[in-house]
Amino acid sequence: MRSSVVGVVVAAVAVATSAMWFFQTTTRSESTRGQTFQAARMADGKPDLNGIWQALNSANFDIQAHAARPALALTPAAPRSGAPGLVRATHVELPHPLVRPLGAVGGVPAGESVVEGDEIPYQPWAAAKKKENAEHWLERDPEIKCYMPGVPRATYMPYPFQILQSTDKVVMAYEFAGASRTIHLGKVSDSPAPTWMGWSRGRWEGDSLVVEVTDFNEETWFDRAGNFHSDELHVTERYTPTSADHLLYEATIEDPKVFTRPWKIRMPLYRRLESGKKLLEYKCVEFVEELMYGHLGVIDPATGQKNK
Amino acid sequence: MNARHPVVTLALAAIVGAAIATIGAQQSTTNAQPGSTALSWKQATTPWGDPDLQGVWRYEAAIPLERPARFEGRESLTDEEVKESQRLEDEQARQRLAGAEGAAVGRRSVAESPIRGNEYNSFWQDHGRPRQVFRQTSLIVDPKDGRLPYTPDAKKAEARSSARYGAGPYESYLDPDTGERCLTDGITALMWQGPNGGHNRIVQSPGYVTILHEEYLDRRVIPTDGRSHGSIRQWFGDAVGKWEGSTFVVDTINFIDRTNYEWASIFTRPSETLHIVERFTRTGADTMEYRITVEDPTTFEKPWTAVIPITRLNDGTQIYEYACHEGNYAMTNLLAGGRADAAKRSR
Repeated sequence: MRSSVVGVVVAAVAVATSAMWFFQTTTRSESTRGQTFQAARMADGKPDLNGIWQALNSANFDIQAHAARPALALTPAAPRSGAPGLVRATHVELPHPLVRPLGAVGGVPAGESVVEGDEIPYQPWAAAKKKENAEHWLERDPEIKCYMPGVPRATYMPYPFQILQSTDKVVMAYEFAGASRTIHLGKVSDSPAPTWMGWSRGRWEGDSLVVEVTDFNEETWFDRAGNFHSDELHVTERYTPTSADHLLYEATIEDPKVFTRPWKIRMPLYRRLESGKKLLEYKCVEFVEELMYGHLGVIDPATGQKNK
Repeated sequence: MNARHPVVTLALAAIVGAAIATIGAQQSTTNAQPGSTALSWKQATTPWGDPDLQGVWRYEAAIPLERPARFEGRESLTDEEVKESQRLEDEQARQRLAGAEGAAVGRRSVAESPIRGNEYNSFWQDHGRPRQVFRQTSLIVDPKDGRLPYTPDAKKAEARSSARYGAGPYESYLDPDTGERCLTDGITALMWQGPNGGHNRIVQSPGYVTILHEEYLDRRVIPTDGRSHGSIRQWFGDAVGKWEGSTFVVDTINFIDRTNYEWASIFTRPSETLHIVERFTRTGADTMEYRITVEDPTTFEKPWTAVIPITRLNDGTQIYEYACHEGNYAMTNLLAGGRADAAKRSR
């Protein structure tokens, strides 16, 4: 974490003069470690979190520490027999045939853990299910089907998201699947049903926007490694400006059905500084229809032939 | 699965609207909300000084998009027609509240329906209160005949896709319309969808106006910082906004070409030549005029303009999660039905 904090500070200093309109109100550039950064303010005096943000890590592959590997879906190499002296001592795993043509594009970049202590306190049955999820990643990961990513996963997918901050509502607009959340800062009724993106109630604690997210269904995952939750998931998120161009994102995960205790993730979020940067469309439903429905019709559009 | 089609709504609106009259916005009966009188209202501004359009808005009027034949040559209803329209709206609302839809009324065709507008598919009309009656005979105010100025080719395509709607064939996932595929019903219809997830939340932040449409979870983040159009083509095009007095003006171009997709109503599909200008003008605490001008030489011989009154719902109103794709069991069932049909035919 320390080195990334230094990086953050260096980057903040480097860009402090590039005055994009939405943080022109930032009057100081804090560059000293240990000092508390004073966030820019909105006209109503609240910290200004507006902007397009993105995580830069490999947490969407696996929120825990992981070495690089050739693919998410692996298959054991056939045991080698025959020539004496050439019998493998250790098990070798190869990319699954379905993802093999992707080569290096299908690989998993290594990544440090975003989980505090690198331990996810699963109950024993849940630890077994997580392992099984990972083994069946291709069939089970909701991201593959362009389903809404849920929280906190939406925050660290490899797509930007935009914070649109009004006075009593904050919209989180995610590029992936066009998912959105409205964070209610004022009073709001209860959610009438479980949801993919949760029901978000926010409040300010100093410079931090703290969001309690509840009313999830049990369909979303934390990453591509099969980390999962139940419909009792309760996420407490904390967005804290740490420089003009960085937020510290922290989320406490509670789910008594799946975990033995609450646990935490944390990571920096980076402002997208490109001039005129916008959130673009990633309407992926179209991208997955062939996968999900191609084999179900009379005709498969991919081949133009009748399905068997 | 809640993918209902705008053509159904508009057709319904047309049917209902045809039978309906209006008493004008001011007099609009039971759905008038406190504070909506023009006299006491003053346009509020956000803390950063933009006109404040925030809240949950929806189209609640009973005005058909196109002018029904019976009102040909007339832009507004007579007092009698207004009265009759109001009677029908009240009657329908009573029926709906009494649960006299679906089971009681049965899945009737339009022709069989004892009360026009209350036939099958009117369950999408979730109003527990009567729709608002206005004098306008069509949402389209230009051209003067109140009709969509289709090119001859577009008219044919429209007839073809309308005939397919609900009838098939459904041989693959490309055959249902884009709504049934959970893609979108298209930008032009979003603000007047009315009953079917027709809630639209406007949230403003410095330099942006965001519209969250409940239907299909569609979302538009519209910059108002004076930037010019970008070059990337998208389903919802490239939108730039600006304030003209207290009117929010959105200019959208750079739509993708999806003219090969089957839509029951081709005017909602994007094409590369589509250009839309929208004007949002708040006219009271709970009323807004939404004016849309659509230009697309691929589909229309000339631009057309619709004026759509929309209503602000009370402060507690929420936008709920419209997880259409995530729950699209209808697609699987539709394709299974298509296979069963094909098997029957081949026997």
